[in-house]
Amino acid sequence: MTAPLVLGIETSCDETGVGIVRGSTLLANVIASSMDEHARYGGVVPEVAARAHLEALRPTLEAALEQAGVALGEVDAIAVTSGPGLAGALMVGLGAAKALAMALDRPLYAVNHLVGHVGVDLLDPEPLELPAIALLVSGGHTSLLRVRSLTDDVELLGETIDDAAGEAFDKVARLLGLPYPGGPQIDRAAVGGDPAAIRFPRGLTHPKDLERHRYDFSFSGLKTAVARHVEAARDRGEEVALADVAASFREAVADVLTAKAVRACHELEIPRLLLGGGVVANARVRELAAERAAAAGIELRIPPLALCTDNGAMIAALGAALVARGRPPSPFDVPADSTLPVGTVLC
Amino acid sequence: MIELTVPDAASMEALGARIAPLLRAGDVLLLDGELGAGKTTLTRGLGAALGARGAITSPTFVLAREHPTAGGVPLVHVDAYRLPGAVELDDLDLDWAGAITVVEWGSGKVESLVDAWLRVALDRPTGVAADTDGEEPDEPRRVVIRGHGARGRELEAALRA
Repeated sequence: MTAPLVLGIETSCDETGVGIVRGSTLLANVIASSMDEHARYGGVVPEVAARAHLEALRPTLEAALEQAGVALGEVDAIAVTSGPGLAGALMVGLGAAKALAMALDRPLYAVNHLVGHVGVDLLDPEPLELPAIALLVSGGHTSLLRVRSLTDDVELLGETIDDAAGEAFDKVARLLGLPYPGGPQIDRAAVGGDPAAIRFPRGLTHPKDLERHRYDFSFSGLKTAVARHVEAARDRGEEVALADVAASFREAVADVLTAKAVRACHELEIPRLLLGGGVVANARVRELAAERAAAAGIELRIPPLALCTDNGAMIAALGAALVARGRPPSPFDVPADSTLPVGTVLC
Repeated sequence: MIELTVPDAASMEALGARIAPLLRAGDVLLLDGELGAGKTTLTRGLGAALGARGAITSPTFVLAREHPTAGGVPLVHVDAYRLPGAVELDDLDLDWAGAITVVEWGSGKVESLVDAWLRVALDRPTGVAADTDGEEPDEPRRVVIRGHGARGRELEAALRA
């Protein structure tokens, strides 16, 4: 018997993703992004995203089937993100998945987006041994997870208490007069800058904060510190040292993200760390994570970039794992849940 | 008009917690202030006091986030910064009447959509004193609270009492 052919649909934010896997073998991963349409608003606009998903879904699905070289009728199961994410955007993908499952008479697996980011590692020929710590960082999420079982046991260790890391990049870009999205802009501005020029604060790393927020993140104070730095320079009639500010800001983000992840690995005695989410595209975050993991004897896993940002392949991979474990499929009336807790892998 | 000095983040949360019990469905809070003034911090205190579900984090990315609360009336937390005007804010189809709505960056956009609101302006000291050196300084914020419309003035009076 061959492994099940699973189609995965992801529409939680601004990327329309359709992926196809056979068991743990990736056959197709096609992504259509509506990022350009959001740029003029300085961020994702839920209504724009939902409409863009509607337009992109069918072509994306057809491109994925072609890439995988399979016909829709061969698909054994449909997996889809049902949360967390933007409600309107989620509904488009979920609606499409339900329609496909019903028309093809195949089971539907409505799964958790964040767990999907971890599940993508299943597509690696040698998946990371569990338990593992996962650090997921994107425009909308900054979460640290303990994963004992992808299908049954995912625990939230900590998350941001104010701005997501990607959001901090966007807001600091705004402060520095740079366009959206902020991540690549700040990376560009930081070239040649001194990351140690300005010692910006590392949120929730002081002993008094660690008691209550050991694995939580905060980027709001950092953003304020950058704002004050820029204002102070202007008040003195000085030019803002853009490259130094950008490099120092990025260093503060990379430092606190990787320090907390490595701390979790160390304290929970789990020497395995998986990174995921769009902010992992940031070279400095990857570099510092690699450096610190190596120093601490932690096995570090960073999926290829196309599988780090939102995509359908990770949802398909998680769906295939659920099928393999014999988990019962989701009911057809399963709703989109914009604040779905990470502990719920399958709805 | 109420003028206050709020010394630190914990006191900003406490101010939110003080406002919370006065609120009911249909009430609108406008939060003005630059990046880092404490708008989300105040909302976090308010949300905690209302027993809101889910972390009260910045809604910048999602524009609006709804939190169910212990009292049954949901808390809707909006960031209008990226919305060009009242029309786009109206497009979000918020349930103003059925929720307690907190809008960051809402001035100039909300006023044409609702009859009454409580405006809380947060002022963060800016300028040369910024010497952070790795610490997150807890700087005092100047807060000015003013009610508009009948219900807004009622809230302001209740807060003064």
